Amino acid sequence: MKVGILDYKACNLGSVFSSLYQLGIDPIVINSPKKISEMDRLIIPGVGAAKNCMDYLKYNSFIEPIKKFLADKPVLGICLGMQIFAKKLYENGLSEGIGHIDGEVKKLDTKIKFNIGWKEVKFTKKIDKKLSIKDLSNFYYCHSYYVSLKKNNHCAAISYIENNNKIPAIIYKGNFIGTQFHPEKSQTDGNKFLEFFLNWKKN
Amino acid sequence: MSFVRIIPSLLLSKKKLVKGKNFSNHINAGYPSSTCLALEGQKCDEIFLIDLDSYNNSKDPDFDSLNEISKNISTPITFGGGIKNFKQVIRAFQSGADKIYLSQILFKEKDIINKIKKIYGSQSIVAGINIITHGQEYYLLEDKKKKIDILDHIRSLIKLGVGEIKITFVNNEGSEKGMNLELSKRIISNIDFPIIFEGGLGNIEQIIEMIKIGANSFAIGSMITFKDYNIFKIKQHLFNKGYKVRF
Repeated sequence: MKVGILDYKACNLGSVFSSLYQLGIDPIVINSPKKISEMDRLIIPGVGAAKNCMDYLKYNSFIEPIKKFLADKPVLGICLGMQIFAKKLYENGLSEGIGHIDGEVKKLDTKIKFNIGWKEVKFTKKIDKKLSIKDLSNFYYCHSYYVSLKKNNHCAAISYIENNNKIPAIIYKGNFIGTQFHPEKSQTDGNKFLEFFLNWKKN
Repeated sequence: MSFVRIIPSLLLSKKKLVKGKNFSNHINAGYPSSTCLALEGQKCDEIFLIDLDSYNNSKDPDFDSLNEISKNISTPITFGGGIKNFKQVIRAFQSGADKIYLSQILFKEKDIINKIKKIYGSQSIVAGINIITHGQEYYLLEDKKKKIDILDHIRSLIKLGVGEIKITFVNNEGSEKGMNLELSKRIISNIDFPIIFEGGLGNIEQIIEMIKIGANSFAIGSMITFKDYNIFKIKQHLFNKGYKVRF
């Protein structure tokens, strides 16, 4: 199986790479839009600022190949890698997202404005019986923007952050699955999640 | 209630881990990669990795050790120590860092925060404040002559766009005598921001004292390097006392 990790010249690509490697996969780093279609699965890492990432993907013609790929193969977006699938993003000015998810990416409206550390997830929907992660499993978060969904039916799990505010933890729609947390940095449960993605929608 | 974050603070020198007192007298504290693997096994919440050598010379920080560690673990790594330019920030992220720790450079080139923010986002920047206390007066390790107002200093860093702040009590560092409670209290009650505290922890009671005043993230060195504690044991103690920790 060919698993591509999209390199948008920011991101903690190395961390995603090593996590997959430890799960028995030799990932392929995608630097050119042409290479996307050769993959079986695509991962878009996080750690980046929205505007810079969207600009990079647009100027280098990544958007259409990603959309095409998404039509028939699984895509995992991590943190910012998930947020860019929303319609609009507001970090460092407005940018248009890929638009697959009906929502906007806004600054956390909590007092602290950052959600950094481990949080438990609570499932609101069953994605797949193969996903062995349960309620109260914990994952590592590091963000200050979140996806504000128009339709909650794309939200599979939530996490409670400061003052009981809830944010989407896992979003999925069609072949897309996105996590606000960092599975590649979430030790045992994170690896379980990545393993699930590698087998997701596989007959 | 949020999980209490326990973060081992590891110092790198000549490809080895070291530990000292009050920022000096460093002695060997083990191999980086195997130590980090063990810490992950003990369920540490994150790892702080600070390269000491690059503070004092013009060489690049030890990206090789960072890379080797990052290949072996799936725990968030904050890397820093002697970062001198944006190029080194990029190298750090490429070598497996998830966040970047900046301290000295903030006195020379504040604009670096802006550059990192635009590409990697604010959440990836941890600013270090190394506080030296003389009675009721505060100084920074990087400028021992200039008296500062700690709250103003923190606010100015937040305004520049960092995502977290690590406060280190230099006087207490390695002493195992506990943290500066009075100052911590003042910071916590005046600033709403993710803050990691470091310097002085030697036992569980001292961690609990800090949690009681509202702190929830701790970087620890001596306590796990030289004493018979490990992350799991610390968390178990906290859990038994009714605090929220993850295992």
